[in-house]
Amino acid sequence: MPRHIKIGLIVFGIGGAIAMGFFVDIVGRVRSMVNERETEENPFKPPAQPLYSPTDPPVAIKVFFPAASGDSLLVAEDETIFKSVELANRAKQILQKIQEGPKANTMVGPLPKDARVQDLFISEQGTAFIDFSDALATAHPGGVLNELSTIYSIVDSLTYNLPEIKQVKILIGGVEKETLAGHCLLLLPLAMDLSITNVMPHDEKTALLR
Amino acid sequence: MRADRIAILLAALGAALFFFWGGLIGAADTSIPIYFPNSKLVVKAEIFNRVTYLPIKQIIEFMGIPYTDALALETLTIRSGNSRLLMTKNSALVSYNDQILLLPSPILREDGRWLAPLEFLTIGLTRVTGTEFRYRPGAARIYADNVDAPELEMNAQTLGPITRLTLRCSVPLNVELKRDDQRAILAIDRTALDPVRERLDHRDRMVRSIAFDDSDGNAKIVLEITRDVTDMRLTGADNNRVYILDLLTKREPVTEAVPPPPLPSAPAAKPDVIAPPRKVRVVVIDPGHGGMDTGAKSSAIAEKDFTLALARKLRGAIQTRLGTTVLLTRDSDAGLDNEARSAVANNNQANLFISLHAGYSANKLDAGSSVFVMKENFGEGFTTASATGRDQLFLPWYLGYRIHHQASVSAANFLQEALSKAIPGSKFTTRTAPLAVLSSATMPSLLLEIGNLNNPVNAQTLSDAGFQSRLADTIVNAVQRFSESPQAAAN
Repeated sequence: MPRHIKIGLIVFGIGGAIAMGFFVDIVGRVRSMVNERETEENPFKPPAQPLYSPTDPPVAIKVFFPAASGDSLLVAEDETIFKSVELANRAKQILQKIQEGPKANTMVGPLPKDARVQDLFISEQGTAFIDFSDALATAHPGGVLNELSTIYSIVDSLTYNLPEIKQVKILIGGVEKETLAGHCLLLLPLAMDLSITNVMPHDEKTALLR
Repeated sequence: MRADRIAILLAALGAALFFFWGGLIGAADTSIPIYFPNSKLVVKAEIFNRVTYLPIKQIIEFMGIPYTDALALETLTIRSGNSRLLMTKNSALVSYNDQILLLPSPILREDGRWLAPLEFLTIGLTRVTGTEFRYRPGAARIYADNVDAPELEMNAQTLGPITRLTLRCSVPLNVELKRDDQRAILAIDRTALDPVRERLDHRDRMVRSIAFDDSDGNAKIVLEITRDVTDMRLTGADNNRVYILDLLTKREPVTEAVPPPPLPSAPAAKPDVIAPPRKVRVVVIDPGHGGMDTGAKSSAIAEKDFTLALARKLRGAIQTRLGTTVLLTRDSDAGLDNEARSAVANNNQANLFISLHAGYSANKLDAGSSVFVMKENFGEGFTTASATGRDQLFLPWYLGYRIHHQASVSAANFLQEALSKAIPGSKFTTRTAPLAVLSSATMPSLLLEIGNLNNPVNAQTLSDAGFQSRLADTIVNAVQRFSESPQAAAN
């Protein structure tokens, strides 16, 4: 085969491969655009805003998790979040830590695996309204003590670390539910209860240090 | 055209007069039983102008009192010893030993029957015969002399797929259930009863009406039922002073595997025996979950089945040992919401409410159990009610628990102590929680959560009938101790 024909075939092959690459990329982009079209099942979601900025200082917090055994129902684990300007973002960071579960094996995760925080709003009176996905109730394994642990893990973690939050009202699937999984009342906002934890209230701790 | 309109107007006016005027002055018959100390008489009363008239000759003949019916004079004279009572047709004035008495309506005489208004019994007949008559205004029955007519309370409620009628009387009754196509009849074997309410304003998909009826002299409760009713269950309690009729529908399967325990019957035959005063007279037991709501699950047993089996055992044990009335919020595999459960306790004036549950811990090795009472300060910031005096009547529903919170704590402590002694390997803790089923219970109330269904050995133990009986006996010990404590008296 003459040399110029060989060179021509090689150039043609390379050109074809590049053209194929572009074609696949374009098809992929078109498909993703079609898939991401806003529908009732797939509503438009704005891109997630970061919960803190790189300049926000770190702050130590206590996250309450159900104890695997022992006298206290909830045990505190030390964690770190970033002190973002928005109070709601700090609350969301704490809820993220609760969702991630404890690091120590002496505690257990308080939320069912698929439970997600859908929305969070904090009123001027200091009530945090947290809307969880349906899985919080439907995937809950049951048991009064278990239910109590789930609820107060959320309530105590938020109210202990964020004094601006006085009480917490839990919504499920965007609506108010009588109970979480048949036992504990959710109709009214709940205030901090450290009597079921291994942590003392702030004021008692201060009094002891004096 | 004009003539047509006038004709239509006149026809409408005529129809209106026919219905309204006719209803006003027309007579209606109704049967009224008169209960005498050792006998009864059913008379056919007539209602004219909303006044109830009784056939007076029939009554005095039954009482054996001599009389003279003077056709020409149109008078009726009743004699008893030296007393004489004279009545005249169409006159509201009655002469008693020449003393004039005024009746609210005139005496009538129709077709040879002397008809006197109901008040004649107390105004006239009592004076001449010495027999006292008692009746409620507008009542459908009359009691003569010292006839003992105990009050009969009826209460109906819809509990999910069950409609429950509760009868309560101060004396033991024999009640028999009969059913035809569209009616259920509870025949009561007692001559004179005084129903607090003649009929209940209760209507649901299984019941159209519930009414007391003794118009033929035989006391019975008639329920107009629908075709949804597939089964009925009548249970006696508290030495047959309380009866519970459950109407069931086929939509929810009814567990027949565990029959209700036999009720104590011996003391029922001796109503005259004075029982020692009991502080806890009615206990309501709530088997947690039910129906579609299985609660926690294990391979050995589901929470709903465990709680029902334990509740039935507990009912038998309390009734046998303490002679207390015990009601279950559900006696089948039926689902109920929390409000309906506490409503059973509230509506039956329970002195103690126990909700039964099985635990589930993520930690398989955990075998701790808890006795819960309602969280003390729950809902504090959401009411202005001071929970004292008159305000107690107007508490928001979720604060109903407050009235007896201290007594609830005492009852929980008694139960915690009893369980810790009886089941040494397990740890029992008294805790507080914002529990829906306890929040509106207006009596000492607690929730027992026992075991860990995530632990296979523990689940196997809970499903064991022997363990359940032991557990029931231990709970009865705690109920007895609570019943004897001063806290129970505060209820």
